[in-house]
Amino acid sequence: MKKLAMAAALTLTLPACSTIGGEGFGYGGYALVRADRPRSVGDGSMIVTPPRDWNRVSPLWQIDDIRAVEDWTLNSPYLDSISFVTGLRGGRYIIRQDRRAAQQVPKFRSDMTAPEIAAMLESFYRVRAGAIDFKTTGLAPRQFMGYPGFQFDFDHLDSDEVWRRGRAVGAVIGGRLYLVLLDGARMHYFGAALPDFEAIANSARLRR
Amino acid sequence: MSATVSRRALLAGGGALAAAATTGVAAARILPRDMVPLVGPGYRPTDKDEVGIWQRMERVEEEIAGSNLLIKDEGLNAYLRDLIGKVGGPATRDMRIYLARIPEFNAVMFPTGFSVVFSGLLLRMRNEAQLAGVIAHESAHFLRKHQIRQWRDTRTKSDLLAIGSMVAGVAGAAGGVYTGDLARLAELGAILSVLRYNRTLEAEADAMGVRLLADAGYSPAAMHITWQQLIGELDASASYRRKRRDRNYSLFSTHPAPERRMADLRISAAEVTVPGRSYDDHRARYLQAIGGIRPMLIDDQVKLNDPGASQYIVETLAQDGWNGLLRFAEAEVWRLRNRAGDDARAAYGYAAAVRYPDAPADAWRWHGIMLQKAGRAAEARAAYQRYLTVAPNAPDAPFIRQQLQFL
Repeated sequence: MKKLAMAAALTLTLPACSTIGGEGFGYGGYALVRADRPRSVGDGSMIVTPPRDWNRVSPLWQIDDIRAVEDWTLNSPYLDSISFVTGLRGGRYIIRQDRRAAQQVPKFRSDMTAPEIAAMLESFYRVRAGAIDFKTTGLAPRQFMGYPGFQFDFDHLDSDEVWRRGRAVGAVIGGRLYLVLLDGARMHYFGAALPDFEAIANSARLRR
Repeated sequence: MSATVSRRALLAGGGALAAAATTGVAAARILPRDMVPLVGPGYRPTDKDEVGIWQRMERVEEEIAGSNLLIKDEGLNAYLRDLIGKVGGPATRDMRIYLARIPEFNAVMFPTGFSVVFSGLLLRMRNEAQLAGVIAHESAHFLRKHQIRQWRDTRTKSDLLAIGSMVAGVAGAAGGVYTGDLARLAELGAILSVLRYNRTLEAEADAMGVRLLADAGYSPAAMHITWQQLIGELDASASYRRKRRDRNYSLFSTHPAPERRMADLRISAAEVTVPGRSYDDHRARYLQAIGGIRPMLIDDQVKLNDPGASQYIVETLAQDGWNGLLRFAEAEVWRLRNRAGDDARAAYGYAAAVRYPDAPADAWRWHGIMLQKAGRAAEARAAYQRYLTVAPNAPDAPFIRQQLQFL
């Protein structure tokens, strides 16, 4: 999940190498995600098929151990990113945080409803991504991986003075959170990546 | 207050500073009556170092003035300009004030006489006198030329380089290298560390602030009450996370000890109070000015999920009476902090909030969600329907309509 500082942009990424193709991260800190090939993401419990090549953000610099989360980008995390949350259990956080930090992202609970998950994501943007303004623009029912889920649309103004736009599609399945989230600069980048996001979200399925 | 600045006043100020710098401690309380302004109307610097700082700060101001983090509400900005006009001393007409949407207890005065007030400050002030007190304190920094005095006072070679590079960083912001990241600059202290004052200067600003406040007819006691709130909030926030109060808190800087400053402010307030004169806190006028953005201010704070601080703020504001907005905020604090038993507390809080006629629409939505989770279908249905009546175009209305089908 994206944060505005570069190091922080990587804090939600997955440390273990779970890529099916086994491709490595180059010096740039990104690994190629090939188009039209199904691949497992996050902890491996979700499979998606991107319609074109994407870049998986390297966990190289991060100090995170949240296996359930993985980030991709097209033009760098400042401009666009897709985050996958896969099989996050109740009582866990979507991001690693200092337990003594004054401001914290709320923990996920298995019985959370869509508005509560939306509020959790909103606090993530405010606490960890420096959002000054955050507007929910939509929360509607939507099937995800064959389960009843939700679509959450939002805009946020961050402290770097850039308006960004996001869409999350997710569901709680068996008490675990599954989510695909697109976040990008409202000017151009979000819209440009949206068709890919929709294809990826619609292609998502649980690995049995 | 005199319009012109006498050479004697300047020398007196400089002398006091030199003495304090030698001893290293502000042994005695600085007296409000000694605090004469060192800056008159239309002040422009003539010394080379100060001219240089002004040039850089003018670029910073340009950047801030154009930032989309500012709250543009024209009425509110006019109100703040009016306020700085009342407590700005002789330089009143030269000062500018910007309101930034940053949910922190803070305000900053820049060396050139422009001030940035953070929206989090407006949230926490219970009346106009309190806000005027903070602005008076910040004005005093300008009127007493604290920025340049501090700079000259600490100017060893290494400090010079450090401050030079910090100012260069600020200038970089103006030049677009660093994209005017106001909140981040404030948080990380790039600007604030340039504008960090020693204890003598902070004590001066306190003493002069109290005097400016009383001269303008505000209750001078408002300042130490603000201090009390700041200390109380920091302690509440820290104790919730089981740690000590952060000593590096930026508002009014760190030394002297907050408790000591609060005590000094209390004595100074008594000193400047003229017997028989009536002082007002102008609470009604304040609430009218910020009323339109108060729900936003509370929302911005509560969603940071800093439960200790947020609850302290809600309870402080509720000293003037509970209402639907504050009850709703309290429930939100509980829901987000998410400890064992908090779901029941939040449910109770939303139920309490919706009994007030001014409960926000969101209170009905959350009330409905809590009832639905508790299996109280009929009541949940009624709460959702009420929500959709109050906010038919809410962005989550499609989701709520779907829930209604399940009830």
